[in-house]
Amino acid sequence: MHKRSSLTKALTIFFISTFLFSALTSGLLAQERPRLSPAAKKIATFEYEELKWKVPEVGKEVKRKVLRNGMILYLMENHELPTFEMRAIVRTGSIYEPVEQTGLASLAGTVMRTGGTRSMTPDELNRRLEYVGARLSSWVGSESGGASLSCLSKDTDEALQMFADVLMHPGFNEEQLELEKEKRKDAIRRRNDRPGSILNREFNHLLYADHPYGRIQEWEQIKDLTPEDLKRFHQRYFKPNNIILGVAGDFNTKRIIKKIEKAFLPDKIWQAGKSWKKGRVDSPARPKITKSYRPGVYLIEKEITQSNVRMGHLGVKLGNPDEYAIRVMNFILGGGSFTSRMTSKVRSDEGLAYSVRSSFDTGSKDYGTFSASCQTKVGSTHRAIELMLEEIKKIQEGLVAEEELQTAKEAYINKYVFNFTDPISVLTQLMYIEYNDRPKDYLQTYLDNVRKVTREDVLRVAKRYLEPEGLTLLVVGDIPKFDKPLDDFGGITVIPLEEPRID
Amino acid sequence: MRKALEILIALGILLVMASGLFAEKMRLNVVEHDLENGMKILILERHTSPVVSFYLRFKVGSVDEHPGITGIAHLCEHMMFKGTKNVGTWNYGAEAPLLNEIDSLAHQWRREMECTKHPLYRGDTPRLEELRQEIAEVQQEERGYIIKDELWETYMKNGGIRLNASTGNDGTQYYVSLPASRLELWAYLESDRMANPIFREFYSERDVVNEERRLRTDDQPWGKLWEEFYAAAFTAHPYSWPVVGWATDIQMILREDVERFFRTYYAPNNTIAVVVGDVNPERVIDLCERYFGPIPPQEPPPPVITEEPPQTGERRVNVQFDAEPIVAIGYHVPGGGDPDQPVLEVIASLLSRGKTSRFYKNIVERKLATSVNAYAPFSRYPELFTVTATPLKPHSTQEVEEAIYVELEKLKTEPVSEWELEKFANQLEANFIRGMKSNMGMAWRLGNYQALVGDWRHLLRHKKELGAVTPEEIMRVAKRYLNDSNRTVATLVKKESKKKITRVKPESSRPYY
Repeated sequence: MHKRSSLTKALTIFFISTFLFSALTSGLLAQERPRLSPAAKKIATFEYEELKWKVPEVGKEVKRKVLRNGMILYLMENHELPTFEMRAIVRTGSIYEPVEQTGLASLAGTVMRTGGTRSMTPDELNRRLEYVGARLSSWVGSESGGASLSCLSKDTDEALQMFADVLMHPGFNEEQLELEKEKRKDAIRRRNDRPGSILNREFNHLLYADHPYGRIQEWEQIKDLTPEDLKRFHQRYFKPNNIILGVAGDFNTKRIIKKIEKAFLPDKIWQAGKSWKKGRVDSPARPKITKSYRPGVYLIEKEITQSNVRMGHLGVKLGNPDEYAIRVMNFILGGGSFTSRMTSKVRSDEGLAYSVRSSFDTGSKDYGTFSASCQTKVGSTHRAIELMLEEIKKIQEGLVAEEELQTAKEAYINKYVFNFTDPISVLTQLMYIEYNDRPKDYLQTYLDNVRKVTREDVLRVAKRYLEPEGLTLLVVGDIPKFDKPLDDFGGITVIPLEEPRID
Repeated sequence: MRKALEILIALGILLVMASGLFAEKMRLNVVEHDLENGMKILILERHTSPVVSFYLRFKVGSVDEHPGITGIAHLCEHMMFKGTKNVGTWNYGAEAPLLNEIDSLAHQWRREMECTKHPLYRGDTPRLEELRQEIAEVQQEERGYIIKDELWETYMKNGGIRLNASTGNDGTQYYVSLPASRLELWAYLESDRMANPIFREFYSERDVVNEERRLRTDDQPWGKLWEEFYAAAFTAHPYSWPVVGWATDIQMILREDVERFFRTYYAPNNTIAVVVGDVNPERVIDLCERYFGPIPPQEPPPPVITEEPPQTGERRVNVQFDAEPIVAIGYHVPGGGDPDQPVLEVIASLLSRGKTSRFYKNIVERKLATSVNAYAPFSRYPELFTVTATPLKPHSTQEVEEAIYVELEKLKTEPVSEWELEKFANQLEANFIRGMKSNMGMAWRLGNYQALVGDWRHLLRHKKELGAVTPEEIMRVAKRYLNDSNRTVATLVKKESKKKITRVKPESSRPYY
C-alpha cells in the first residue's frame, strides 16, 4: 500500500505540472507561458499524508466458507456499531423468463418478502420485523436476485430466522400477490406520465427489442400469474448451492456461522413437505444478443417543455479486457460530470441542459449499452444533439490531452478508498466478483489496471467501441417546436405513444 | 463488548454502558469551536476509514427571498461553483473588465426586456437580439481567461465523492467527502469561495437553472402539483414560492443581484462548518482559523418578517396535466423546536411508515391507493404537515381523500396503541444507529440542527422528545391541527393530450437474438 500511495502522489504532481498543455483552452501553443490559476499554484504546495488502508482480502479481513448445503458464506466482523447486516445473492433473473410471462421473476422477488412464509402470515412477518425496526427486502432483477436484512445486533437471532424463512419457505400469499399485481397494473397505467420513464423504457426496447433487457411490461403478461407460478419459480432457483450469502456487523464469527448453519440447514425442523436441499439448478438457456447497430432517429411526441434525448448503441459485455480504458474514455467524454467534455460544452458553455452525460456499461453479462443523454428546452433540441454528437466523433479522432487522462485516472484512484468504508458493501463487491466469475484479485488489481491506461488506449477503445454511424437516437418531446427537424441525423421513425392495455 | 466500547470511544461516541438502549445512553463527542468572525465549526471524529465528510451550511434559503428575485438563493448556489479570483481563471485582472462590460450590457438588456412587457408593445425588439449577440461576444473573449470548472475538477481529481450543493427553503449547503489527507484542500477551496467568489459565466448558468426548472417542475406531475399546492397553502409567507423560483424571476435576475444576495447572507457569522471523519480536531481548528478566520463578519442578515395568517377555510386547487391523478393534502403546523412538532412526526410515522402502518393497512391493502405518505417537516418557520397519495383505479382522488380523513379522525378520538408507540421507539433507536454509519449523514444532521435551532445537541434532544410522545398528546395535536378549515388540497387532474393512440403496436420489435 505504501507504494500505491506514493504513486498517487507522484501522479498529482505530474498532473499539476502538465496543466499548461490544456486542450480545453484550445489554440494554446505549448511554448506559451503556463496558464495556471493562482489556486493551482497554491494547491501544488500542499502536502498530503499517505492514507493508511488496504483493500480487504478474503482470508484476512473477510472470511469465506462453503456450508455443507453448498451455500457460500462471506463474513466480516465489525464492532463499530451494534448492527447486523445480511445479504443474499441468488443465481436467477428475468433473463430466464419467457416473454409471455414478463414480470414473473420480478413479482416473485417482491412477493417473496411481502407474501409471508410457510410459518408466518404476511401480517405476522411485517409486525415482527417492524416492531424491532428491522428491514428485510427481497428482489429479482435481470441477472440476479436476492435479499437484504439490516437490524440491531440484539435482534440478530430473530431476524436471521425470518431472513432464512423468507429465503427458503416464502408463502406467496395470494392476496399479497394480487395487491402487487394491482400496483404493477397501476404503474403500467401511469407509465407515460413522466418523460424520463418513457425515454428509458422505449430506448431499451429499441436496442434490445424483446430480449429480457428490453421488454416492456404489459398487463396481460402478469394478470394470470398465480402463487403456484411464483412458487415454481422460487423452487427452481432458490437452492442453497445457488446462493451466496454475506454477513457483516457486530457478531462473533464462529458463533454466527453456527447460527447460520442452523437457520439454513433446517431439515430437522421442517419435517413436513419438501425441505430446502442442495440440488441441481436447471436454468433455461439464456437468450443471446447478437451485436448489431440500429441507426436512425426515433421520435415520441409529448407536449412538454423539454426534449428528453438519448443516443446510443450496444457496447461490451462484462469481463471485456478493455474495461478500464473504456471507463476512462467515458469519464472524459461524458461520464465525469463537470470535468467531462459533454458537460463542459452543452451545459457549462452553452447553458442548454441541467443534466448531460454519457454512460458506458461494462458490467452487464450480455452486451450492455453505451448511451448519451440530456434534457433541453424544445427550442434547442437539434443544437444539443449536434454538440453531443460532435463530442462522440471528436474523441474518436484524436488523442485526449495528457491532463484529461490524468484527471480521470486521479479521480478513480483517489476515490477508490470510499469503496471500502462500509463492511456490507465490501462483502457485496466480493460476492458479485464471485457471482460474475471475475478474477479473485479484481479489487486488488483494479488501481493498477486504471494506471496502465494510456492516451493511445483511450483513442483505441473510442474507435473500437463507439459507432457514431450506428447510433440509435430517441427524442421524447414536442416535435413541432424543435429548433430544426432532426432528419439530418438519420431516417425518422415516429413511435406512437400507446395507451396502455389494462383491461 | 469491551473491545467494542473502546472502538466507540475512539469514534468520538461516548457510551454509558450501564443498561438500556445504546443510543439512549449516548453522548456525541462533538468538538465545537467558534471563530472570532462568528463562524461555527463542529467536528466529530470517526477513525474507521481514512475519509472525511465536509458539510458547509449557510443560513439562507428561498425563505429569504422576495417576489421578483425568487430562486436567487438557488441560483447563487449554482454560481458558487464558477470559481473565484484564484480559481477558474489564470488572469483575473484581465477578465474583470470584461465581466463589467457584460454586466452593463445585461442592464440594457433587462431594461429592453421590461419594455417588451408593455401592453401596447408587440414582439421582440431588434435591440434585444443585438444585445444578446454583444453579450455572447464579450463572453467569448472572457473565455480565453477561464479555466473551466476548476473547483469541481480539483475536488474530483483529489478523490471527492458526493460533491454537490443544495438549496432549500431554510438553508443552503455545500458538501463533499474526501480522503482524510485532503483537509487543507477543503479549507482552502471553501474559504476562497466564501471570500473571493466570481460569478463568471452567469448568463449560461442562468439558462441551466431554467432547464433545471423545466426538468424538475414543469414536465413532472409531482413537481408541478407541489408548486401549486404550496402556492395555495401559503398566501403571505415565503414558503409559498418554489425553491427553484418562478420562471419569470429566474430569467430576469442579473449577476449584480446575486452578488448583493451573496454579500448579505454568505457571511462567516451566518455559516456553520461540520467535519466528520478521520481527523484530528486540533488540526481542523488550526486550518479553519487560518483559512476562514480572516473573512470579515457582516451585519446580521435581515429577518424574515411576514408570518402566514391563520387559515380560515379549506383551499382546493386543481392542476390539469397530462398524467394520471394524484393528490396532496396539507395542514399548517408549527416549525422545528415547537413542542407539538415531534408529536406530528410520530403521527406521520404511525400513519405511513412501513407495511404495518395505518395508511398501508387501511388504504393500500384495501386497494384504494398504491401509496400514501405522511410527512412532518422540521423547519425554521411554521410549515405544512403533508399527506400525498397515488390513487388506484377505479378509485378516485376523492375516495382516497375520504379514506385518509377517516384515519386522521381516528387519531383524534381513539388513543393509539401501546404496540404502535413501542414500535416507533424501537425504529427510532434502530434508525438512529444506522444513521451513524454515514459520516455525511451525521455531518448533515449536526449542521441542520445547529442552523435551525442554534444547537447541534438538539439532535439528541429531539430524539428524546420523539421517544416520549404519549397517546394523549397525539389526540390533542391531531385535534388541534388536522382540521378541514386548516387544510389545502391539490389534485392533479388528467388533461387529455391532443393525440391519443390506442392499441398500436410499433412495428419496431425486431429481436436481436
